[in-house]
Amino acid sequence: MIEARSAPPQMMTDEIFKLLRDFIYETSGIFFADDKKSQLENRLLLRLKAHNLNEFDKYYYLLKYDPDSGGELRALFDSVTTNETSFFRNPTQIQALQEQVLPETLAKKQMAGESRLRLWSAGCSTGDEPYTLAIVVTEVLKESIPSWEVKIVASDISEKALRSAGAAQYNEYTLRLVPQTIKEQYFTPNGDGLYTVSDDIRSLVEPGYLNFADARRVELMRGFDIIFCRNVLIYFDDDLRRRFVSQLYDNLNPGGYLFIGHAESLHNISSAFKLVHFPGALAYKKD
Amino acid sequence: MRKDIFERIRTIEDLPTLPSVATEVLSLAQSPEVSIRQLSETIHQDPPLATKVLKMANSVFYRRSPQPVDTLHNAIILMGLTQIINITTSISIMSSLPRDSSEEESIRKHYWNHSVATGLIARILDRKLGMRSKGREFVGGLLHDIGKIILDAYFHEDFMEAHTLSIAQHRSIHQIEKEVCGTTHMDIGFYLAQKWNLPPYLSDIILWHHTPSKASFPDITSLISIANQLAKAKELSCGGDSMSFILSDEDSWNILKERGYPVDDLDLERITFEMDALGDEVTHYISTVSDSTPTE
Ligand SMILES: C[S@@+](CC[C@H](N)C(=O)[O-])C[C@H]1O[C@@H](n2cnc3c(N)ncnc32)[C@H](O)[C@@H]1O
Ligand SMILES: [Fe+2]
Ligand SMILES: [Fe+2]
Repeated sequence: MIEARSAPPQMMTDEIFKLLRDFIYETSGIFFADDKKSQLENRLLLRLKAHNLNEFDKYYYLLKYDPDSGGELRALFDSVTTNETSFFRNPTQIQALQEQVLPETLAKKQMAGESRLRLWSAGCSTGDEPYTLAIVVTEVLKESIPSWEVKIVASDISEKALRSAGAAQYNEYTLRLVPQTIKEQYFTPNGDGLYTVSDDIRSLVEPGYLNFADARRVELMRGFDIIFCRNVLIYFDDDLRRRFVSQLYDNLNPGGYLFIGHAESLHNISSAFKLVHFPGALAYKKD
Repeated sequence: MRKDIFERIRTIEDLPTLPSVATEVLSLAQSPEVSIRQLSETIHQDPPLATKVLKMANSVFYRRSPQPVDTLHNAIILMGLTQIINITTSISIMSSLPRDSSEEESIRKHYWNHSVATGLIARILDRKLGMRSKGREFVGGLLHDIGKIILDAYFHEDFMEAHTLSIAQHRSIHQIEKEVCGTTHMDIGFYLAQKWNLPPYLSDIILWHHTPSKASFPDITSLISIANQLAKAKELSCGGDSMSFILSDEDSWNILKERGYPVDDLDLERITFEMDALGDEVTHYISTVSDSTPTE
């Protein structure tokens, strides 16, 4: 509860902005450039209110020195992340996955007598992306799906976003790019304008917490055939981008594909991958 | 079973011909001592063409100065003989070949969009790689698939069959052409290029743009080969296959690299994103060529 006596919070000084910015960068890799001060200020106001604080320095000390600040750190990550996403975002990329990347990957596995298919939605936000991947895989595998061991790992730093992913309920707006037949087949309307993802699709997706700045944990994510890491690198600085992308390379199986955001580029970030052109979309391949 | 369309092409008497001014301009281009006056006079023999060339020189595609150029003479001084020769060739070829078709399923509209897109992309790459092709790359892009328009016009059903198969089987159109028609758009195009007496670099592009390692003009043929693929990746293909590709694995790429062009420095992602507006530019280019109203 906000008490009547609490004065409106003070402005964030440049000094405390730098301290908070560096703290957030060290803990999550998310980087607020100098021109993003007011954005950070707005996002942290709610955290100040939650603790009934009216100064940003006090909040900083709480994060930095309070031994119980672990929970607050998670809440901080919820407020500094942008979770904007939708089903079938950038349809040309989804089409490249459906028409070329998956058929190629599956054919190769069949030749080698393998039946495990592993995808990773790295920065899955509220789940729209991993469920999209699950739907596309299901559409491509059709009747043969029972003979495959499919897993779509979905990771994010925002627990709030992960809770939505777990609930798997979506509104019309985030489903706007979903073709009607797909919507009818894989979603159940529950009356109040929300749609629930079908159990078959949900069973393929495993949401979980992962902080991409935590190199030791990222290293454990091995053996993926296809990684989607779209619209995540934009929040990092070049150092972390380089380190994380080179880890993504290691996390892929040979011949695996990485998709990044529609207008993002690995030029100057990594030269390990081969750039692949699809009609209307780009992806990166590990040789 | 194969129909030897190539043999039948030779017997067709009404194959398209190059407008006489284009022929003259192209032969001027071969002579070492062509003068500004000579070139300008030749183009002026065809007044509507002269108007279009001037209009193109003043369009966003070529314009260099804030003031419009008011005469062909000045345009040549500003842009150079080679560039004006290439603009003229492009325009007169585009105006002389069939552009629209009553056939609903004809590839013709896609064909021109693809050809202009290839030319425009070749121009961008030419600049980024410092190749100084002076507009030859644009003409090359515009003409590389010229054989397709002949196949479409004279052997429509066979060509459409090849086209449909190519999409269904995800195989490249020239392989299927060989199976269905017994020849390819490269061979047919090359035949036409000889007949029209096109300069050797153009016949080379037409014949080898899918196998640049065989070209006698490897630089520009490789350039067009790459531009051709990028045009398809931007969904500006003239139909047929739409397969994925890795440029750094292509012969064309490695030829340019071996010949010292800084291909590895290209920011391909950025170039690909910048091409998002390509469809509009293509439409603009085509309407600039089609529209015969003089510049202000
Ligand atoms: C804009 S969303 C992208 C969602 C989805 N990939 C898409 O393209 O639609 C970016 C996501 O990256 C997550 N993120 C940001 N920094 C992260 C980090 N250090 N570790 C893990 N996830 C992070 C955010 O929480 C957010 O959900
Ligand atoms: Fe071709
Ligand atoms: Fe082509």
